Amino acid sequence: MSLSTHTTPSGYLLPSIHSAPPFFTEQPNPTTQSTATEQWIRLILGYARHRKLFVLRVEDAEAAGSEWDEILRNERINRRILPDHLSNIIATMVSKNLASYEPAKQTRSALIYWRLPEEWAEVLYDWVVSIGQLNTILTFYDITDPPLESALTNIPIPLLRKAIAILGKTGRSQMIAIADGEGVRFLARSR
Amino acid sequence: MRRGVGLAAFDHQEQAERSYAELSSELSRTQVEHLHSQLDQFRTALAHFASTHRESIRSDPSFRYAFQQMCSSIGVDPLAGPRKGGWWAELLGLGDWQYELGVQIVDVCVSTREQNGGLIEMSELVRLVSKLRGVSGGGITEDDVVRSIKTLQPLGAGYQVVEIAGIKMVRSVVKALDEDQTTILAIARETGGRVVESDLIQRKGWTRNRARAALENMLLRDGLCWLDAQDNQAGRAYWVPSAMHWEI
Repeated sequence: MSLSTHTTPSGYLLPSIHSAPPFFTEQPNPTTQSTATEQWIRLILGYARHRKLFVLRVEDAEAAGSEWDEILRNERINRRILPDHLSNIIATMVSKNLASYEPAKQTRSALIYWRLPEEWAEVLYDWVVSIGQLNTILTFYDITDPPLESALTNIPIPLLRKAIAILGKTGRSQMIAIADGEGVRFLARSR
Repeated sequence: MRRGVGLAAFDHQEQAERSYAELSSELSRTQVEHLHSQLDQFRTALAHFASTHRESIRSDPSFRYAFQQMCSSIGVDPLAGPRKGGWWAELLGLGDWQYELGVQIVDVCVSTREQNGGLIEMSELVRLVSKLRGVSGGGITEDDVVRSIKTLQPLGAGYQVVEIAGIKMVRSVVKALDEDQTTILAIARETGGRVVESDLIQRKGWTRNRARAALENMLLRDGLCWLDAQDNQAGRAYWVPSAMHWEI
C-alpha cells in the first residue's frame, strides 16, 4: 500500500502521514511520540484554520459525528485517534501556548489558537477601523455576529475578551458596562 | 675464481661492496629521476584532463562514474587530501564537490532521523538530496552517495551503507543492526512497512518471545518503527517508516 495525501469532502488536504495506521496510536517511544505530536498539532491547527473551528474537546474523539471527524478519524484505513491520546495532544498544545483550556481548571475542552490572541487583537482592531466604528460602543454580539460576515464571526467570547484585554494594554480598547451586559469601545491609537 | 685467504681479501671485499653500493645508488637515482619526469608528464596530462573535463565531472553522473572507475583501476584517489596529492583534488574541485554532497547527505539524514529512526532507503536519500540540490546542482547517483559517505568516515559519525534484502539503506546512527533487526527490516520491505509477531513466527520460525523482544527493541530502544495498536488482525502491529511507501 502507498501512503498518499487525501482531500476531504470539506476541501482540506490531509498530509500523507494521516493515511499511516500507526499515526493514530500513541507512540511508546518518547522521541517518536514527540514527532507524531508535532504532526498532529500542525494538522489540528491547519484544519481549524481551514474550517474556522475554535474549540476542540476530548469528547470529539469519543464518537463519530464531531466537526473534527475528518482529521480525528480515517475511515479509509479504519483508524481513529483515542480520547486519551487526543487529551495528551491538547495538553502539549496548551503547554506550547497554541491552545488554552476553556473554561479554565478542566482539561476536556480547549480553545485552539490557529491565531494567537495577540494576532486576534490586531485582526479585531483592523476590523473595527475598517467599518468606521472607532469611539462607538459595540456589544460582543455586534462583533461575533456582524451583519456582514467578518474574520471575527463566531469568535468565542473568551477569546474575544483576551483580544480586547490585549488592546486595552496599549490603550486601544475600553470595557464599558451597558444596560444589558458588557460593551467595548475602541479608541484611536494614542500617539 | 681465486679466493682471497689473506687479510687483503677483506679490503678487497669491502671495496667491491662500496662499488656496488655506488652503482646501485647511481641506478636508483636515474630511476627516480626517470620516475619524476614520468610523474610530471602524468601530472600535466591529468591537469589537462581535469581542466577540460572538470565541468562534466561535476555535472554528469555517468561521466563522473566512469572517471571514478578509471581512477580506482589505476589506484589514484581523486579525493586524496592535501598531504597525498592535494593538487589533484584541487585541480578537479572534486573534493569540494564530494564534501558538499556529504554535508547534504548529513542534512537529509539528520532531518529525517526522527521519522525513520536513522535508517533511510538509498533511493529515498538520493531523491531528497537531489531535491535539496535543486536543478542546477546536476544529477547525483547512488554511487556518488556511497562515495561521499566514505569521505564522512573520518568524522566518526557512523554513517554506513547497509544492504537489507537486496535494498541499499543508509544508517546514520551509530548502532549496529543486529541480525534479528535485519530480518525484520527485510520483511517490512516486502509488506510495505507492516510487521507483526506472527510474520516472524511463521516465516522465520522464531519463538513468540524472540519475535516480541526484537520488535519491542526496535520500537522502544531504537525508534526504528512505530506502533499501531488498532490493527484489526494482530491488535498490535509494528510499522517501519523507512520501508513504507510515502507519496509526497
